[in-house]
Amino acid sequence: MKTKNVEMVMKPREAHYVGDGFRVHNFIPSGYGLTMQRMDPFIMLDYNSKFHFSGTEKPRGVGVHPHRGFETVTIAYQGKVAHHDSSGGGGVIGEGDVQWMTAASGVLHKEYHERAWSKEGGDFQMVQLWVNLPAKDKMSPPKYQSLENKDINRYELENGMGEIEVIAGKYNGVKGSASTFTPVHLYNAHLKNGGSADFSLPANYNTALLVIEGGVKINNGEHVPTDHFVLMGNEGENFSVEATEDSLVLVMSGEPIGEPIAAQGPFVMNTKAELAQAMRDFNMGQFGFLED
Amino acid sequence: MIYSDMDSNFQKYLKTEWGLSAVDIVNLEPFFHSEEAKKGDILVRKGSRGRSFYFVEEGMLRMYDISEDGREHILHFAPENWILGDRGSVYFDEPAFFYIDAIEDTLIVRFDLAMMDQLTNLCPDFRENNDLLLHNHIRHLNRRINLLQGATARTRYLNFIELYPDVLLRVPQWMVASYLGIAPESLSRVRRELAKENFKP
Repeated sequence: MKTKNVEMVMKPREAHYVGDGFRVHNFIPSGYGLTMQRMDPFIMLDYNSKFHFSGTEKPRGVGVHPHRGFETVTIAYQGKVAHHDSSGGGGVIGEGDVQWMTAASGVLHKEYHERAWSKEGGDFQMVQLWVNLPAKDKMSPPKYQSLENKDINRYELENGMGEIEVIAGKYNGVKGSASTFTPVHLYNAHLKNGGSADFSLPANYNTALLVIEGGVKINNGEHVPTDHFVLMGNEGENFSVEATEDSLVLVMSGEPIGEPIAAQGPFVMNTKAELAQAMRDFNMGQFGFLED
Repeated sequence: MIYSDMDSNFQKYLKTEWGLSAVDIVNLEPFFHSEEAKKGDILVRKGSRGRSFYFVEEGMLRMYDISEDGREHILHFAPENWILGDRGSVYFDEPAFFYIDAIEDTLIVRFDLAMMDQLTNLCPDFRENNDLLLHNHIRHLNRRINLLQGATARTRYLNFIELYPDVLLRVPQWMVASYLGIAPESLSRVRRELAKENFKP
């Protein structure tokens, strides 16, 4: 087993708004060369770094929009998000919770700050990660995995130096709470100041980290501050993350699907013809209807 | 050149539509200008004088007027590969009759009649082909007037999604309703009816 080294450390790019409720830094796929192909199966990552929203009667958010061909993983660190879809489904993603939504053949939904939270306002911090689906599963039925924080499986680090929440995949024998279509590991690593965690992930898996809180060193190397994104190289398996203060790090690693990617807005398919079909299906109401 | 390593949409357009070679395009370069417009930027203001056409490289423009009661009426959307210009000002040197603004951050290629003259020199069939394009445009406009005069909201909508497959995903509903000449509630009703017929959860 060899050491997996850092390929690149990236600071957050200029934030932009998705709707009026999500002030995000995009890491995947634009900028820094983190294309859908390079990061396969991760095709989009928007990071709402900690941002204070003032209280408002009319919840901020993003209006009705469709998805097809992939999964959206929403990780709420601070603040609460309410969502509704055209099948009548809905719910609230609370602090520490994860919503793993398989859009697959199609979901029409909207996402807003939860009403009561929005009224008060407060710090909001969130990640939305899109995980691609292999061609054979792109048109499978949509589904949700709503993971409340208390139900997420954990690995306790020695000497009370922290814990690893295993959202998906496996960590040191602890199985992830969410099921995935292709091999994906997704962890929230909570590390106390001075604590460290070791990771062993296949060399060919595309692997990255996002420092949500605090600061860390990777393989005892350069210091990575809050809100920075780390791309790991594709040689070697093992790396360590050491916290230089109390920290929270999102770790993602996935086996590349290796299929052609055709993407346009909220649709990620394999061919242009499938994109055109998705557009037509959306226009013709096949995703259902939802009032803004 | 707009991009060094790959053809821009505009270069592809010149090559496929007008059969221009890479050398022709270099010769044409003094006649067109790449620019960026931010979402909300007004490129043409009603009553202003300007003689430019805009090719949309990436993003979207719209052309509209504001009626006496203060409402916006959208005449055209121009997503990627569309060309938009106020023909009154470009061809007849009149004050612009319409507004043109960017509804997304947009990369545009601006040109005027001098480029058309240059294209005539570079491409022997230019005038003839351009005539055909113009007639096609008029044909579309005639059908549009016909739809606005008598078609149901549903028929207007179904025509719209053929012409503009991805615009509904990119602009607010009220803009689509404005283009269709119907109330936003009517657009909602049509879309709800279609969902009722076609949505199988």
